[in-house]
Amino acid sequence: MAVQIPLRKLIDRAALWSRINSPWLVHFNSGSCNGCDIEILATLTPRYDVERFGIKLWGSPRHADVLVCTGPVTRQARDRLIRVYEQMPAPKFVIVVGSCGTTGGVFQGCYNVLGGINEVIPVDVFVPGCPPRPESIIDGVVQLLTKLKNSAAPPKGPARNQEKSA
Amino acid sequence: MSLVTSMESISELAKSWDTHAVSPAENRYDIVVTRGNLLTIVAELLRTRWGFLTAITARDVSTASGSAPGKEGEIPADRHFEIYYHFCRGPAVLTLRLSLPHEKPSVPSICGILPSASIQERELAETFGIEVEGLPKAGRLFLSDDWPAGLYPLRKDTTPQSIRDFTAVAPPPPATVENDATPGKFTVPIGPQHPALKEPAHFELNVDGEIVTGVSLRLGYVHRGIEKAAEGRPWVQNLYLMERVCGICSHIHSMAYALGVETVAGIAAPPRAQAIRVLIAEMERIHSHLLWLGVAAHEAGFDTLFMYTWRDRETIMDLLEQVTGNRVNYSVNLLGGVKYDVDPSRADAIRRGLDRLEPRINHYLGIVTTDESFLRRTRGIGVFSTDQADFLGVVGPTLRASNVHRDVRVDAPYSAYRDFPVTPVYDDACDLAARVTVRVKELQESCRLVRAVLDALPPGDRAVDFPRRVPEGEAIIRVEAPRGELFYYVRSAGGISPDRVKIRTPSLANWAYVMSVAVGHKLADIPMIVVGIDPCFSCNDRTFLIRQGDRKGILGWDDLRRYAMQRYGRRAE
Repeated sequence: MAVQIPLRKLIDRAALWSRINSPWLVHFNSGSCNGCDIEILATLTPRYDVERFGIKLWGSPRHADVLVCTGPVTRQARDRLIRVYEQMPAPKFVIVVGSCGTTGGVFQGCYNVLGGINEVIPVDVFVPGCPPRPESIIDGVVQLLTKLKNSAAPPKGPARNQEKSA
Repeated sequence: MSLVTSMESISELAKSWDTHAVSPAENRYDIVVTRGNLLTIVAELLRTRWGFLTAITARDVSTASGSAPGKEGEIPADRHFEIYYHFCRGPAVLTLRLSLPHEKPSVPSICGILPSASIQERELAETFGIEVEGLPKAGRLFLSDDWPAGLYPLRKDTTPQSIRDFTAVAPPPPATVENDATPGKFTVPIGPQHPALKEPAHFELNVDGEIVTGVSLRLGYVHRGIEKAAEGRPWVQNLYLMERVCGICSHIHSMAYALGVETVAGIAAPPRAQAIRVLIAEMERIHSHLLWLGVAAHEAGFDTLFMYTWRDRETIMDLLEQVTGNRVNYSVNLLGGVKYDVDPSRADAIRRGLDRLEPRINHYLGIVTTDESFLRRTRGIGVFSTDQADFLGVVGPTLRASNVHRDVRVDAPYSAYRDFPVTPVYDDACDLAARVTVRVKELQESCRLVRAVLDALPPGDRAVDFPRRVPEGEAIIRVEAPRGELFYYVRSAGGISPDRVKIRTPSLANWAYVMSVAVGHKLADIPMIVVGIDPCFSCNDRTFLIRQGDRKGILGWDDLRRYAMQRYGRRAE
């Protein structure tokens, strides 16, 4: 006798399977020096070629599963970062690439810098480095996918300052 | 344009101005100007085409920061502002020094004479609170929309604490929007997050059908406040901060800073260090131009070329990594030398890498000059005349593609460029195709230069000792970054950290080209025109809007919503 699986669960399982096998990424630079951004771009190009693994960098946040953020959050980029994050459909995940996005890095204390990405939005994976190598960035994505695989609904802490944007 | 003729011509000109002039260094000429005669002198300089405006530096001369009288004995002990207008011609740098009182400082705008100066004047107004009379009123340039009014970050009395206190009470200024109701005319907003932009910027293009009628630009999304941060950090730490002004041309920034500090301190790095700096700078140019070629191909819809160039770029990235241990921010420079040596085995590795790369570069030169579909996106597009380019002070490959013979490596050789002369590349076609060709030919030239340096690497030490405190003084350093002339003004008050570091990046100078060329082109050409200057937002943030037409301000979220509701409400009726 066949095992009965509820339809809802089946759909969830299929969605998770497809998400893990082909995550779509959207990239946002909230104040980076460009170093991380060119390394993210390098992951797309023939030597690293992440599309082999079904990872696709996509232009619109509305179609994306994962937000890849670089740089410290500047005053002017803060609201845009929140807006991009809010435009993504749930479930959504955030990967921070680079030391600046992790802690503010070398730009800590600059007057126009608010700190790391997790001061503004919740973050799932941090990839430190200044900038991290393309291999590390791919590893960051793989870590996120592993996390997804191991728990169907990943728990997530709130951002450090989750007050509403002005 | 030799140094002697440039200096002679300026002293000749200066005689008629009745001003106090000094020459603080061999290649420098300083003139003390007043509010009254500033405009006359600037107009005269531009009329005779003595040179071009490189940068406008402002300085808060505050007793609190321990400013003693300067070298020329012209800085009084009381607090005031100083503005320096730096003009360059060949190797010579002319500085117009203007002193302003601390209470209600104001200065006449020179943008009536030189439109491209408005960018730098806006920076002056925002960061120092110096009123620039006659500057068209517009929204914020590079400070955020919610930045409190009346707080000027680069003034000496502005501290992190005062910024926090101010922010708590400041309301965000309301954006003003004037809706354009003419049928067929639209405003197309692009960015800050956009697939074609790997860095955030916000463009608003006014279009009439397909034709662009006006452009406005809002940058400042990656403005971090590096110039202020530098004033609070030791000399050595700043080396790593400057490297992160821009991740693509990181070496040239730290090199310019190191050269500046070494000039102030009167200590020169040993010849071997200078040669290694040049070697890395040229390798960085190769990586940067290849990166640019890929991005330009991508904007032109030629993704195959994008993938090929980036594949070949990995060759030079590997070499940079072998020499310095990092792919992007190399940390090669020290104050007084370099950190890494290039031994014969590494030199051989670099030569082998170039053996692989050079045929590829020649192949790309063939593609960009013969591929019909690519040429249709570049030939005759974005034509920028020699005269305009020279006048507006555009820099780098953008300028050389308009056949203006100006390259800092040739005109004013710094570091080891005197020993390794550069053959500059020019093109007289003045269009986008010329900009592509110039950059690809510069790739060939850089490869040749890298080999030349490797073959004649001077023996000796990598570095000399450098003191923790730098004696009082100032230096102006100009270097040729991949995108064009990079300008640094470094000043020490004798302490363990700088008194002022001013950076004028090439992209800042090149926006003048985008703004003057974009109008009249098709919307589809705009990405190519923008990419034509190889814009680097993290370098130049800073910045501003320039408008044509009558639109003012930046559309906020609420404005956009209101605009959408009005628009669709009308349509429903």
